[in-house]
This record gives sequence, C-alpha cells and structure tokens, in this order.
Amino acid sequence: MTTPAPIAALAGVTKIYGDGDTQVTALADADLSIYPGEILLIEGPSGSGKTTLISILGLLMRPTRGDVFIRGERVSALRERDLPPLRAGAFGFVFQGFNLFPALTAQENVAIAIKMKQPRARNADAEARRLLAAVGLANRMHHKPADLSGGQKQRVAIARALAGDPAIIVGDEPTAALDTKTALDVMALLRSLASEHGRAVVVVTHDPRLERFADRVARVEDGRVTAVDTISHAA
Amino acid sequence: MWTLARKILLHDRIKFTVAAAGVSISVMLVLVQIGLYLGFMQNASNLIDHSTADVWVTGEGSENFDFSAPIDERAFYKVASTPGVARAERMLLGFGQFRLADGGTQGVQVIGLDPGARLLRPWHVVAGDVRRLGEPGAIVTDVTEAPKLKVHRVGERREIFGARAEVVALTHGIRSFTTSPFVWTDLDSARAYTLYPADRFNFVMVEAAPGVSPEALAQRLSALPNLDAYTTPQMSGRAQHYWSARTGVGAGFFTTAALGIVVGLVVVGQILYNGTLEHLREYGTLKAMGARNSAILRVIVYQALISALVGFVLGGGLALLAQHAMVAANLTVKLTPTLVVGTAILTAVMCCAAALLSVVKVLRLDPASVFKG
Repeated sequence: MTTPAPIAALAGVTKIYGDGDTQVTALADADLSIYPGEILLIEGPSGSGKTTLISILGLLMRPTRGDVFIRGERVSALRERDLPPLRAGAFGFVFQGFNLFPALTAQENVAIAIKMKQPRARNADAEARRLLAAVGLANRMHHKPADLSGGQKQRVAIARALAGDPAIIVGDEPTAALDTKTALDVMALLRSLASEHGRAVVVVTHDPRLERFADRVARVEDGRVTAVDTISHAA
Repeated sequence: MWTLARKILLHDRIKFTVAAAGVSISVMLVLVQIGLYLGFMQNASNLIDHSTADVWVTGEGSENFDFSAPIDERAFYKVASTPGVARAERMLLGFGQFRLADGGTQGVQVIGLDPGARLLRPWHVVAGDVRRLGEPGAIVTDVTEAPKLKVHRVGERREIFGARAEVVALTHGIRSFTTSPFVWTDLDSARAYTLYPADRFNFVMVEAAPGVSPEALAQRLSALPNLDAYTTPQMSGRAQHYWSARTGVGAGFFTTAALGIVVGLVVVGQILYNGTLEHLREYGTLKAMGARNSAILRVIVYQALISALVGFVLGGGLALLAQHAMVAANLTVKLTPTLVVGTAILTAVMCCAAALLSVVKVLRLDPASVFKG
C-alpha cells in the first residue's frame, strides 16, 4: 500500500518574533506533513508554539525560515496578495469562540463565507443550506447564534469552514468551550469529514480524550515538534 | 454583502438610532442653513431676477443694490440714446417711513417705476389692480408684510413721509433682504416718499435691441461718464455677493452647516468604528478563510451608505418641517433640487469618510490574530 502525497507540509520552518535582545523563537526547524483523510492533533503546553505552527500552516503567517507546501507547491514565497485566494481554496478554520456574526442566522453566517470566498457564487444560500444539513443543523438554519447551544454554534462554524470545499480544516481548540458529550459529537463530525470526504483535519488541543478520533498526534514543546505519533485504533 | 451590512447595523437598534439621529441632524442643519442662506440671497436679488431687463445701469462705484447712489435725468437720456438700447426705464429704490394705522411708523423700501413700466412690475399679485400703479399716490404692498404694515386689504390709505398713499393691489411673497417691506409706486410718488430730489433715481433698466448682446451693450454703457452697467445676471450676482461676503452672512450660515457635517462625521464615525471593533474577530475569521480586504471593506462602506440613506430621509423630512415652520416667521428656506441632491451626495461622502477609521482597522487586521485568545 502506497502512502498518499501530503496535502500540506512544513519543511524546516522557523519563526522568530522580535529582533536583537527581544528575539523569541516561537518555532524552530519544524517538519510536518498533513495527509488527506486524516485527523492530526497538535498537542503541547501553552506557549509551546502550537498556534504559530497552525498560523504558518494556514498561510496566515510567514515563516522566518523554511518552506510551506500546499499540494506540492511551495507557497511560502508567494506575494501577500496571492495568499487570500489560496487560503480560500485550501483552508477552513474553526475556533474555540465560534466567531459567528451574532446578527446573522446560521444560514447567513455560512452563506456570507461562501460569498466572500467565491464572490461570483450565485447559489450561496442553497449551498449554505446543504452544508448546514450535512452537519446536522437542517432544523436550525434560521436561528441566530444566541438561540443555538454551544455545540450547535460549533457545527455552524464547521459548516462555515466547509464553505468553498477546502481540502484542509484547521481547528484551534474547537472543543474547549463545549461540554464532554458535545465535544465528542463535534469531533465525531470532524472525523466523518476526514474519513468520508478525504479532508485533512488539523486540530490544536489540550484534551487527550480527543486522541480516539485522531490518526496522528504531533507534540510540540518549546517551539519544536518533538514527536509525531500514529494512533492505533485497534480495538 | 448588503444583507450583512444591514443586519450588522440594525442588530443593535439603539446604536443605529443614535447614528441615524446624528446623520439626520447633520442633514437638517445643512439643508436648513444653506436653504435659509439661499432664501436670503433670493431676497437680495429678487427685484433684479424678476425684471426682464437685459442690462442695469447705476451710479459709478455703487456696490450695494439696496443703497445705490442716485443718478439724474441726464444719465437716463444718455443711456436711452445709446445705440443698441431698445428701451430704457428708470427705477428708484429708497427708504421711507410708513405711517401705520395705529399712529406708529415702519421703515419701508420704496420701489418707484416709470409710468407704464414693462421691464419690472409687481408679480404674484393676489388682490387689486396693478395697472393702477401709475396713478399718483397708488401703492402696492405684500400680504406677508401685513403684520408690519398692518395693511390687510386693497383701498386702505396711509402716509409715507407725510405724502398720501392708497393700496391699489397686494402681492404675495415679494420680500426684501433688508427686512423693510417693499412698497411699489410710480416714480414721482417714490421721490415724495423717499425725499429724493425731483430729477433723481437709482437705476436705468435697459432692454437691448434685437441682435445686440447684453454683455456688449453693458460694456458700451459702462463707458458713459459716472455710470456703471451690468448685465442682469451680473447685477444679481453683485447684489447677492455684497450681502453674503461683506456682512459675513454667508460665513455664518456655512459655518453652522459645516458644524452639522462635523457632528455627523463624529457620530457616524464613532458608531461604525465601535461596530467594527465588536465584529473584529468575525472579520478576521473571514479574512483567514480567504476573504479579500475589498469584500470586507464593502460591508463597512455599505453600512455607512445605509446610515447616510436613513439619515438623509429623516433629516430631509425634518428640514421640510422646519421650512414649513419658518414660513410663519416670514423666513424662506429655499430647498432647491441642486441643494437637495448636493446634500445627498455630501451625506454619502460624509458617512464614507466617517467609515475611514473602520476601514483602516480592517486593512490592518492581521488574520492570524483570530488565533490569539
């Protein structure tokens, strides 16, 4: 059986903040590959460099040194203005705080992301309905965030992350604000997105209970990727 | 994008109400202040603008239409005999003391016209027979000045500087800039009412012969000794410019209008900026997911334009109410189509300018910031 080509990869990535005496190395010489259809957890203590790692992976931040590859293309040298369309096509993001517009309904929150990613999209509302139905919110489309539970809000955020059909979903502690059952439901949903749709899901977390949904776990300490472990799901 | 802009704006009704109130007060101030100014300026050149003369001749160096230097009969004949002049009529504009029915007096501005004058006649006549104006002692007053003159109907008799006057007709809405009511009469009576010498008056109104340009004729008449001549548009502009620039009236009105714009800028700017700060994480999320700055900026500019539209409609309504209310105070708020359209554009520009702080905030928003806290 052949290993699939990585959908994204970091090669020798270093990120240094500040200069002179105030220099801080947030990430040092990190190598990491992300494969289609897998869930990769990134674990590590606070301040270890996890956020910097996913910011660089998500093309939201440029590395000081090293390269970022998306679908085999070296993208770390691209101009700033070329990055938004690349992000729009490749990434969806999910956050601990949901980041939904409180004035918009679930459907509108998803549709606006579709329109912003694809300004010429003519069927944004229909596509938003389809995505919300896919995350189990067919009966909550016209509810505003204030009328939804934490789990439902995170499902809306996941549906929004799926706008534009990105190959990689990046989650920044997406279950941290949820109770255990809801957190596990959300992870199960992300698991199905990976397994059934071949998306790569990268999740930053402190919660070891999520490992049961993951294929691999990358451990980050003091700015270094110290280990990447494959999780065995043999019962 | 319009939907997102509208919903974000209307989500907090109180804030939106404050923004709309700020813009509408701004719009009302601009419309009412500039409308009042235009109303005053209309009064300043009212007589000139309603004449059918092509050229106005006055004493040399006269800057103010309402206080023009007297000229004499020789000047009239020189003007009338100048080639290119088809018709010349004299006009006197001076001040008199109108004796009221209750014994008091009221300063009036007397307009004396040649018998059979055609180039300038009272307009908006609502009662009486203006053709009797040539009769000695016949006068025409305006019904809107009734509170000052206490003249309510045709046939009432009064005295001006001791000379008898009988109201033969009433007009509506012919008002002076000086606030002294106009009294129309014939040239000889006007001299008696203003204590002018028998051969004196202030203006010669000229109709150019067919094919003669008013500009060329004005130039020719200006060459006559001790006289200045202006085309009617020039004369109108001079009359308005004197009161607007020399008295500071224009600066006063426009300063208040400018303050209105500042109020609008500050209120809308503050509301939009607060709204942008409140939604910074959501905007950051959209930027992280690949939304271009231009797409998010459109949302902010649309919010500004919605504020402008609502504020303009409300402010325009308030200005119409103010216009109606000021009629009772004999003040004219002249809301011309140019003023209304100009104010609409100004409001849109003002609101977009108010959005600049928000625009800068979004442009500088680092999409990676969504991962921080």
